Amino acid sequence: MASAVRRPLVLGIDAGGTMTDTFIVDEEGNFEVGKAATTPQDESVGFLESTQDAISYWEGMKLEELFPKLSVVLYSGTTMLNTLLSRRGQKVGLLVTNGFEDMLLMNRGLIWAGYGYADTLHAVTHIHPEPLTPKRWIHGITERIDMFGDQVIPLYEAEVQQAARELLTAGVDAVAICFLFSYLNPVHERRAKEIVESVSKEVGREVPVFLSSEIRPVMREQSRLNSLLIEAYAAAPVRQQLLKVQQRIHDYGFPNPLQTVLSYGGLSNIRYPRLHETLVSGPIGGILGAQYIARLIGADNVMVTDMGGTSFDIGAITAGSVPVDPEPILARFKLNLPTIALESIGAGSGTIIKVDPATAKVELGPESAGADPGPVCFDRGGKLATVCDCAVVLGYLNPEYFLGGRIKLNVEAALGALREQVTDPIGVDVYQGAEGIMRLLELRARDALKTVASARGLNTSDYVLMAYGGSGPLHVAGYTEGLTFKGILTFPFAAAFSAFGCSIADYLHRYTKSMHLFLSPAASTEAKLEVGRAINAAWEEMERTALEEMRVEGRELGKVDFQHLAMIRYAAQLTDLEVQSSMSRIDSPEDMDRLIESWEALYEKINSRVSKYSEAGYQIFELGLLARIEKVKLRFQEQELGSETPDSSASKGTRSVFRDGQWQEVRLWEMDLLKPGNVIEGFAIIEHPATTFVIPPGRRAEVDERNFLWLR
Amino acid sequence: MTQLQSSSAATAGAPIKLREMLEQCEVRLAETGCYDGVTKLTLKAESPLKYESLHTRLRSSVVSARETSKRISASPGVREVGESVVGLYTPEGDSVVFSFGIMVHVHTMSRFIKWMVRNDYQDDPGIRPGDIFANNDAFIGNVQVPDVMDVVPIFYNGELIAWAGAVCHELEVGGVTPGGDVYLAQERFTEGLFVCAEKIGENDQIRRDYLIRVERNLRSPIYWILDEKAKVSACLEVREKVLELVEEVGVDYFKRATKEYIEEGRRAHLERMKVQTVPGRYRGATFFGHLYKNKPGVLPMANKDQLVPIPVDLTIDRNGLMTLDFEGTGPWGWNSNNCCEAAMEGGFFVSLTQFMDFDGKVNDGAWLATRLRLPSGTWTNPDSIMVATACSWALLLPAFGTYHRLMSRAFLARGFKEEIFVGQVNTPFFEGGGISQYGTRFGGSNFELAAGGSGARGIMDGLDTGYAGWNPESDMGNVEIWELSLPILYLGRKIWPDSAGAGRFRGGAGFTSLYKIHHTPMFMLTTAIHSGKVFDNAGMCGGYPAPTALYHYAIRDTNLTELIAAQKPLPHFEGDPHDPDPRRLVQGDFEFSEGGYIGRPFKDGDLFEHFYNAGGGYGDPIERDPELVRKDLENGIVTPRAARQIYHVDAHSDDGRTYNVDVAKTEQLRSEERRQRLAGGVPVSEWRKQERERILNREFVPEVLEMYRDSMHLSSKWKDEFATFWQLPADFSI
Repeated sequence: MASAVRRPLVLGIDAGGTMTDTFIVDEEGNFEVGKAATTPQDESVGFLESTQDAISYWEGMKLEELFPKLSVVLYSGTTMLNTLLSRRGQKVGLLVTNGFEDMLLMNRGLIWAGYGYADTLHAVTHIHPEPLTPKRWIHGITERIDMFGDQVIPLYEAEVQQAARELLTAGVDAVAICFLFSYLNPVHERRAKEIVESVSKEVGREVPVFLSSEIRPVMREQSRLNSLLIEAYAAAPVRQQLLKVQQRIHDYGFPNPLQTVLSYGGLSNIRYPRLHETLVSGPIGGILGAQYIARLIGADNVMVTDMGGTSFDIGAITAGSVPVDPEPILARFKLNLPTIALESIGAGSGTIIKVDPATAKVELGPESAGADPGPVCFDRGGKLATVCDCAVVLGYLNPEYFLGGRIKLNVEAALGALREQVTDPIGVDVYQGAEGIMRLLELRARDALKTVASARGLNTSDYVLMAYGGSGPLHVAGYTEGLTFKGILTFPFAAAFSAFGCSIADYLHRYTKSMHLFLSPAASTEAKLEVGRAINAAWEEMERTALEEMRVEGRELGKVDFQHLAMIRYAAQLTDLEVQSSMSRIDSPEDMDRLIESWEALYEKINSRVSKYSEAGYQIFELGLLARIEKVKLRFQEQELGSETPDSSASKGTRSVFRDGQWQEVRLWEMDLLKPGNVIEGFAIIEHPATTFVIPPGRRAEVDERNFLWLR
Repeated sequence: MTQLQSSSAATAGAPIKLREMLEQCEVRLAETGCYDGVTKLTLKAESPLKYESLHTRLRSSVVSARETSKRISASPGVREVGESVVGLYTPEGDSVVFSFGIMVHVHTMSRFIKWMVRNDYQDDPGIRPGDIFANNDAFIGNVQVPDVMDVVPIFYNGELIAWAGAVCHELEVGGVTPGGDVYLAQERFTEGLFVCAEKIGENDQIRRDYLIRVERNLRSPIYWILDEKAKVSACLEVREKVLELVEEVGVDYFKRATKEYIEEGRRAHLERMKVQTVPGRYRGATFFGHLYKNKPGVLPMANKDQLVPIPVDLTIDRNGLMTLDFEGTGPWGWNSNNCCEAAMEGGFFVSLTQFMDFDGKVNDGAWLATRLRLPSGTWTNPDSIMVATACSWALLLPAFGTYHRLMSRAFLARGFKEEIFVGQVNTPFFEGGGISQYGTRFGGSNFELAAGGSGARGIMDGLDTGYAGWNPESDMGNVEIWELSLPILYLGRKIWPDSAGAGRFRGGAGFTSLYKIHHTPMFMLTTAIHSGKVFDNAGMCGGYPAPTALYHYAIRDTNLTELIAAQKPLPHFEGDPHDPDPRRLVQGDFEFSEGGYIGRPFKDGDLFEHFYNAGGGYGDPIERDPELVRKDLENGIVTPRAARQIYHVDAHSDDGRTYNVDVAKTEQLRSEERRQRLAGGVPVSEWRKQERERILNREFVPEVLEMYRDSMHLSSKWKDEFATFWQLPADFSI
């Protein structure tokens, strides 16, 4: 289609550990997909290359024409998560309340966090995660605020000065401060920050200072500290990357701030002060996309699997809804941050193969070659053999068609590296070895899938499995082998699925405000009105903030839809339940009763009637607001199902692939030329510039009305 | 009365009572060797997928029900550190699936259900749909009073097809001292509120009169009441899910499958035993020093210090059947440290789930493939229900820690070095009551103890501050939550230096908490329960035991306010034990107390330091990688003194934060140590001769003398073995 008639609207990018994917939607709901290698040193380079790739299908369109037309550019990525998992973050100095210097080493005792059922029981397998900052950079500061928010011990300022000097001398990149009960009273944290800043001016080395009371002002110090450290350790470097991306797109004429995806599925500006909330933005985007497609195809239950170059992410949608975990465990750290539930292991096509010289045992990763230098076959300086190199030598990947031919894969180099590093040391034939390693990766992914199903109690036969990510279609048949699903589904845009998911997200901001309200079961009219007034004041304040933020982001304020939230619990309970209020203000005692009734009805529905205990009275520790503006969504065109036999133009001939210990001829097809109704019998490979879909012998692929591909 | 249909072929069609079902189930096990006579796993063979899928979904129902219960609870014990468990049982009371959590109660609940079945609850008080039964009586099926369990029957078309059950550990039980574990209980009648296999609800609702009893007999009833609601909700959620699945697979399939799961669990356990262990007899022992003499509130008959021997004898036969025998252990006492059979079985069960039976069909099947011998009249099996069991974990944990080491030897013998686990440890709680920071009367426990140090492993160190023998999900909770529930203000919560038993792989480190008593005119606190004077958690293969002492610092009438006003240094933890910070830095009425703590009430501004235990080491400390010692120094897990004297590592630091190791000097120190050891040793035969003389002369301190006397009195078998080993004269007695 000519560029003149194109009206591009939304551009979503997903910068994975290996590839950067782009997904562009126009006003008609049409889309294009682009792909380029991620450029970790400066992500804006890969981002623009990937965008360029997407619009290369639009004749004559240039970046200068594209960006001024766009209304939204969305970034998601796994850079922050990868920084965390590979412990490549900032050197963070930490100030904690004196006497709590071991909080990171002790980690609340949650050594089992992130384990499956069997390993949780099996005590000898438990280990602590490696702390994000070593003990030598942790200083205890004498001070104390108590549970009422009152100062019990003043801040010993001299200790802060001393600690700041030592940390700056030790060469830390940032200072994080987490004092007990700072969420109630941040005065000590704020004063300590001033002192650190003045010392850093004095010594001529200014570093950013992060406060737990700003980053995550909620109860439970261990979760607050984890959020704070992730922000200081992993988010700060990522923000620099995002600002660079934003600068580049502004240079091309894009007028608005760059957006990113929050853990609960909303969008926010990249200047958002709590950037760690976007820790898993890429995978979250994927789940949002999966939820959208699940509705289209009428599937209530979906398991999603995203395999890229670096990680394998698993999520699930049950009865149409995406579970949100209020206290998720991310990278083995417990956080107090509402997050769409998903699990991740280090397993992808870029996963590095290691051989233990002592035992000749082969191990996979968890390190990935990423995009730079990338697998050996990329010929970009990567020296370590990866799973991707196996797929190339076995014939699964077309060396001339990787990224549509933009990267020529060097088969000989891959063969050489595999022989030298892996198969010769263990004494097997290089092809048999490569096949075994590919199988090992798929088995690991399958085990992870089974662990998630088991931990969440999902019966896989009730679920449709969606496979996406650049390597998802390549390995899906392998990692689902022996598991029963209602169906296995992949997409022509599988490689940019997370970017697609981001592109359909709404502008959504979530605001919360800590309160301390109590309503006795025998509350008087006046008491109810008083609580109502406090609620109204909080909601009003959050509405003002939301409108202001939306205005700054250039939204049409008339379209903002508010949902008012109240987090209520019976007095003394330790968990509250969030209820959406049907009223935007509590103006009468009856309104207050209605709010409590709607909360209690929800509570009873979730927890059963016996668990009600209104005699205890009600507490409200938090109020919330969701501010949403709907965004244009793409529409998938539905077509009639045609012939089972593909057009001859879709056939790309055959290639030899090494499978089951022998070379076999495989039929090759071009994904973009398949039509609804086509059936491809295995053994076959369906190629796409951005992905490769393997249909093993005995299986087949069917193309449905929307050009989605089902593996049967 | 509801009529029940038999699930067995033998009596098909005839109405049958639950008690008869249970008895027949036991007969069939005895006759066939298989659970309930399930000699073939028919359903598994027919369709493994359908069979496994039902199992996965049943297990997920209990896992998710436990999450529901956490949301309802008000207790930091349940919400914050996961002191709860949910399970599904056969009509006869055998566990089929269970959640994470305090697994020890999977089996105690089984005893509770069987007790009701055997006592014909079906006739009176009746077992009907919608009924709720509760229990916390250890002699019916429990460990201690704070573990309150609720079960609901699951009926399908009028037939009882299963039970759902849930347990929460309560932080206040209305005993003689405030809290849940009631260290000072010396008889049943001082332990707190008992609920003895009682029907507490009907029609899915808890009875109002029961709640009134709870409200009027506890210091902080809100915890118990909301936990009760949490448990019943969890049971109802499980019931709903089970009935949905029964509709789907058919009731006959469900009944048969649940039995097959248990039988499969039994077989899998025996197979694992055969693969992972070497048959034979494994023997070990540990000891518990119980310091009770002249503690305030101790009754005359209980007023003594006592050394409890815990010999453990494990036999594994060629079929993989293990028998665990406590012959020779000490008598029950007038104190809170007794166990009963259910608790010992629970302790055994939870150990199995951590060692062997953590995967596949984890249920009572494993339990059926084992034997446990608990001699009557000992602390493991008191011959009177008047006995207090409020702190039964005190002896139970070291007993099964010893069992862990015996199993580890069996694994090591077979080459499974990575399965070695030097064992669970006993770690003391902290609890109290009085007037809360909100000005109200209250009682409660601090359950941060659920994350102590573990014993070392065969290939790496033990778990630092991350292990609880009774719950695989260790968790010490957040300080900001504990300070909401007790009138305390933490001045520090830190790793306890040198607490880990030394070794090539050291034990896991414990931790210590120093509290300022806060915002209260009166806080009465108690602690228990690890051993004093002797260690109760040994090392293995040359590894050292963890601490042999249990002590506390209490400082009343302090000058803390003045110190704070002058911005002087404050104590945050013990510091140097030879000159502890709480004494060095603070003026006041200083008290050093050994054993469980009980003393005068505290008030705002007083200080109290408490220590949580650590694990024993594995292998000789002088074989430890010096680099690991260096890291431990930087992390404050090992002190420079211990690095030098125990590990013989030459380490230096300029700033106290980073350390360097001189490898050559270290090797020299270690060679010297080896030389000295050889020079100081005596032949075993010589040592044995000397020890024999001491026995013949009865050269024992009074507690040891009494210990031997008791064991010989309780067990002639033990006495004979002792006499034979030491070649004592036939008329020898103590």
